[in-house]
Amino acid sequence: MSKKLNKRGQASALAMALLAALSISGEVSAATDAEVRGLASVKQFTLDHNARLIAQAQLLETAVADYAAIIKAHKGDYQAAWNADKKQLARQIETIRTLWLETSNQYETIEGIVAGIPATAKYDLILDAGNPGSESEDVAEYDLPLPDGKVLKRPGNLFHGITEPLFWGMDEALVKLEVDLNGDGKISRGEMLFDANLGLGAAGALTHWSKALQADMSAWKPNRDDAFTSVVTMTPTVGDYFGEWKESQFISEEIGAFVAQSRLADVLGIMGGCKKMYFSAISPVVASNDAALDQQIKNGFEELLSLVEDTYAREKAGTQFGTEEADALGNEAQDIADRVVAMVLQAAAKNEVTIRG
Amino acid sequence: MKSQFKKNAPWLALGLLASIGLMLAAEWLRPQAVEPGVDLADIPFYQLPFGPDAEGNPRPFWPSRLKTENGRLIEPKTIQSAAACAECHQREFDEWAPSLHAIAGRDVIYEKAVEVNEDLHRNGIEKARFCEGCHAPGEVLAGRTNRFKSVMPSDAETEGLTCVMCHTATHADPVEGNGALTLAVNTGVDQLSNPMILAAPRDHSRAFGATQTNDLIASADFCGACHTENYDSSMSKAVSRQHVQSTFVEWRDSWYGRNDVTCQDCHMAPDPAAYVRQIRDGNLAKPERYAHNFVGSNYLMFDTALGSNLTYLRGGLLPGLTETKNTQLIERQGQATRELLRAAAGLELRHSEVADGQLRFSIAVQNLGAGHNLPTGVIDQKHMWLEVIVRDADGNSLYHSGAFDGVRGETDPDAVIWREDFRDAEGKRIPDHLTFITAEITHLRPGIPPKGEDLVSYQAPLAADVRGPLILETRLWYRVATQEFAYNTLKIDLVIPPFELAAATYSLNGANETRP
Repeated sequence: MSKKLNKRGQASALAMALLAALSISGEVSAATDAEVRGLASVKQFTLDHNARLIAQAQLLETAVADYAAIIKAHKGDYQAAWNADKKQLARQIETIRTLWLETSNQYETIEGIVAGIPATAKYDLILDAGNPGSESEDVAEYDLPLPDGKVLKRPGNLFHGITEPLFWGMDEALVKLEVDLNGDGKISRGEMLFDANLGLGAAGALTHWSKALQADMSAWKPNRDDAFTSVVTMTPTVGDYFGEWKESQFISEEIGAFVAQSRLADVLGIMGGCKKMYFSAISPVVASNDAALDQQIKNGFEELLSLVEDTYAREKAGTQFGTEEADALGNEAQDIADRVVAMVLQAAAKNEVTIRG
Repeated sequence: MKSQFKKNAPWLALGLLASIGLMLAAEWLRPQAVEPGVDLADIPFYQLPFGPDAEGNPRPFWPSRLKTENGRLIEPKTIQSAAACAECHQREFDEWAPSLHAIAGRDVIYEKAVEVNEDLHRNGIEKARFCEGCHAPGEVLAGRTNRFKSVMPSDAETEGLTCVMCHTATHADPVEGNGALTLAVNTGVDQLSNPMILAAPRDHSRAFGATQTNDLIASADFCGACHTENYDSSMSKAVSRQHVQSTFVEWRDSWYGRNDVTCQDCHMAPDPAAYVRQIRDGNLAKPERYAHNFVGSNYLMFDTALGSNLTYLRGGLLPGLTETKNTQLIERQGQATRELLRAAAGLELRHSEVADGQLRFSIAVQNLGAGHNLPTGVIDQKHMWLEVIVRDADGNSLYHSGAFDGVRGETDPDAVIWREDFRDAEGKRIPDHLTFITAEITHLRPGIPPKGEDLVSYQAPLAADVRGPLILETRLWYRVATQEFAYNTLKIDLVIPPFELAAATYSLNGANETRP
């Protein structure tokens, strides 16, 4: 009797184990299929943004070339160029600064991924984060040829090391002529003509290295680690942009000369991409072992997107946000973005994912 | 009786044994008390680029010297926001809310400066623990000063030096500085609801007001832990220790330190300027109470004439404040700040002569009311300079040093300036507070010590036909930031206005007029 029972018990245990295994493998398989589809969208999103980076860099290069052409037309005499073409030069510098911000923002969106993929990490140093050759660590390994034939050996990263201080007159050594750019009768800090030779060389290099990045990124095969990395590095930029929007609501014209324009359109674009990546590539992984956490993360994305959409719609309809409301909206968006990122990182740890970047 | 005891003794013994057994079982089954706080290993993706200390222990907050008493990180949701404390401690909240301590981690100029530094290196965010340890300790202790922020945010971390961060301190090292504080922020707080606090206020008081903490936070040592700043190779390019901020030592070695006039006495007095005048008059009695305003020298963050631009500079509104109330509190503290600044310095003409076609004169710039150097703190930004103008009898300017260009926001580079300079590895001046690439600190002119003075001499050529009497106008100016710094970090066209600390006019034939 007992033997029979034992055998029956063993058989039923085996059947249950088989059923459980089948059901688990079914879940894994479903997760894997969804994940594969999601990973393809991660790559597409990244390539799309890199394409936008290239397009912006080309626009910037053209704008700097136009500026350089004016200077060249006066044989490199900045004073003569200013005397002859005040308005055009002032307009050109304003355009260059706006385009620089757009180009830099495009890069910020994908920076986390670029820095995290071993095959593309060098581009992060060249474009955004690398030191000049005088430093001992994280050197941007490239030389910068200039239109006049000079070559700057390992001069540091292009965005923050060269072009930002150049275009905003932050480094006095690169200022060619101080001028009244905005025509208000006074010359404030930052009102200047910059070195066109260096500007054109650096803007050209931004295009060149963005294109090189696109080529290497095309060969990239995204995996689960990359998907998590992309979401946790891109989502905080949404919080930052909303924070900038909040700050811009406080600033009056008196000091608002160079403050960035509304970032809500950027926020919507990036957030939409992050949400898509999470829902398609990551959610199946997270849900497979913590459905509640997955739901919380999804709710966070929905909440953030609806907050941004609503604020953007109101802004477009002409709403003037008071200090308290702008502050509350900005804080709320940053808080939700922070929470989403924290939860995705906790999910990454739970699933033994490596976050690079 | 005896027989009854004999009869029941086995039962009694059995009962006793059973009770002991039950007690042992209960103790054995009792869930172990959970150590408050969070283990470092439980913070996913936490970066430790600086390695362990000499004993091999992890240094989760390095390069800040901040520590928690039980060595664990904090659980953000257990840290009360100041807005919650305000439900009972409204007066203290209203004093603290406009202070620089409250906005230490959110003031936009500070935030942007940290961002610029973070961008300098790949582990810049982790290096920024050095800054945030004093400016945003809640963020650092929770493990959120990290490239990947896997810890949930909280209101308290946005509040800079919020209530809990001071009221749980158990140890401070004012000479080591760089945030050398130990906080019992995991173990020294209670989690009582408001009704429970009302029911048992002593428990709440014991948690936050432990004798050790109360003694410490009343001492200058406590302030010194953050108001002493040294750069080393962890966060800068310095190969030897560079003294960046020495406020504690300046005080310790001064008349004020010797006479037990502490930081709190002046900066937490209900009327700081009046208290400074009281001390100047020789009355060393302590203030009647200590207010939480921490009145200091940053007049810009209280300049309500800036309107909503001031809200921008202060990083928005703190939790628990409306715009109207915020403005009211800031206006009140702005007044106290300006009065304190005016109580600090004095000017005195010591000598003047005309000989060989030259006018020579000496001005004594005096530190009359500050218990530390003037200026003090990190003075690559906060700086002071002297403006002198010599006029003839018709008011024509014959000599002018230290002029301020209000359009460009720049000071005469040849002025007599009290400032320290950050220099990179090649010796080039860094005007915008880039700590992470600073290799050396030099001084144009070091700050003037407490009750000390700095004698400044001038020589100006005089034409033979100048009509006297000559008038000498002197002004001592103070400014909280350089224009390069404001522009490079914020990229906005904001001229940082200077503040007049003291002024005096002298007729070089003897008649004088001074203010304030």
